[in-house]
Amino acid sequence: MEKVLNVPLSENDVRDLHIGDIVYLNGHIFTARDMAHMKIKGLINEDKALPKELRGAAIFHAGPVCLKKPDGSWKLNVIGPTTSIRMEPYAEMVGRVGIRALIGKGGMDQDTIDACENYGYVYLQAAPGCAAKLAQGIISVFDVNWLELGMPEAMWDLEADHFGPFVVGIDTHRNSIYKTIRENAIKKMDSIYPA
Amino acid sequence: MNDHILKDAIHDTCIRAVTGISPDVRELLSQALVRETSPTAQSMLRSMLDDLDIAKKEDKAVCQSPGYPTAWISFGDGNFPGVACEAVKEALSDATKKGYLRPSMVDPLTRYNPGNNTGKGVPNIEYKYVPGQQYVDFIISFKGCGAELGNAMKIFTTATLKIDQELEGLKRFVLETVINAGGKPCPPFGIGIGIGGQMDVAAKLSREAISTRDWRDENPDSKLASLEKELRDSINSLGIGAAGTGGDTVCLAVKIGTAATHTAIAPVAINFHCWVARRAGIRIYDDGRIETIL
Repeated sequence: MEKVLNVPLSENDVRDLHIGDIVYLNGHIFTARDMAHMKIKGLINEDKALPKELRGAAIFHAGPVCLKKPDGSWKLNVIGPTTSIRMEPYAEMVGRVGIRALIGKGGMDQDTIDACENYGYVYLQAAPGCAAKLAQGIISVFDVNWLELGMPEAMWDLEADHFGPFVVGIDTHRNSIYKTIRENAIKKMDSIYPA
Repeated sequence: MNDHILKDAIHDTCIRAVTGISPDVRELLSQALVRETSPTAQSMLRSMLDDLDIAKKEDKAVCQSPGYPTAWISFGDGNFPGVACEAVKEALSDATKKGYLRPSMVDPLTRYNPGNNTGKGVPNIEYKYVPGQQYVDFIISFKGCGAELGNAMKIFTTATLKIDQELEGLKRFVLETVINAGGKPCPPFGIGIGIGGQMDVAAKLSREAISTRDWRDENPDSKLASLEKELRDSINSLGIGAAGTGGDTVCLAVKIGTAATHTAIAPVAINFHCWVARRAGIRIYDDGRIETIL
């Protein structure tokens, strides 16, 4: 099943998705990797305001290559997914703030599978390393927060148009492509080289 | 050897490395797409080949992550390339300004990013003196770091290698590492395996094997050649596939480097390399001729 969804996403939008579905996104995409997740967690713990409204948000585990134009605005050169498992410690927080989709690569683990079901969000797999191709789905840079963290770790607010394709890797029904593949791979390994 | 010629050649080689992937890996990706039976994996492999074409056409980086730069330099008598380190640093800075490399090198603890892709120990350069060599070999590799997250190392022993059972202890460790890595190292990946020395030696051998060898080559040691093929095929039979979302090819090549070790130990380092094989190499002869070697 192929779907085009608009951000902000509703809970129904994502609860209708199943692993293997293909998704394209339109609207705001926020990047966040290790430092931004840590920062968001700190702000929430201190009861401080977040720079962006995260209810319904799509978070891209990514750090773009951006070039600053003479007028001070930004041009996005390329962008592709980073390895999502590093953000696994924030699975619960992501759900609590109302984020509806994570985009990344390599899959996530049990805490994310649980949080996807409990809070209603999905994990979307992008083609790894395909930064020039994925950049075709980003039409502008709205703005950037936390640039002092460095270009990759800052939180970029990007305008997406038919951004994808992404494969639903973890859905809200406790299904994970990665978990199934792992279980089958372990069985295969045991048959080739027994422990 | 004229320092200017050397510096320009090294600079150009660094730029070539960051603006594409090596032709051997591109060929293996195309072959993997022809063989692939899973529609999801076909779509992932097609995206990767499309990405290479788009990056070339639009003069952009293939991948947003610049990876981590390591260079291997071998030299002989009287031709030590003293300008190499400076030339690589300048190329890194140029490539960063042009948007080929995202500024990504940070302090390991404070995580401070100076924004120019340099820092303490960067680029990492491995020098090797070869008596009598009448040329300088220079290979630069920008290896992605999602791949590093899956790496593993273990100090084996005679018993745990299972040398009496066709090295099944070693082989199982490689497969366990691959399963734990799953889609993290941007498959289809290559794997470098360093065996021998102590921990530091094995780790360096693993990076050198997968970064400096042609992924289509045949190991001159026939036992290692057959081990490389067996491991590659066993790994692919696991069904992990391109991007880690299932399919026939998760591994394009296994390359093994060995060194003698102490009789008590057998250190093994497993080093993933994503499909974005940004690497290039040249041979600079003492008379000024330059040849492409990677």
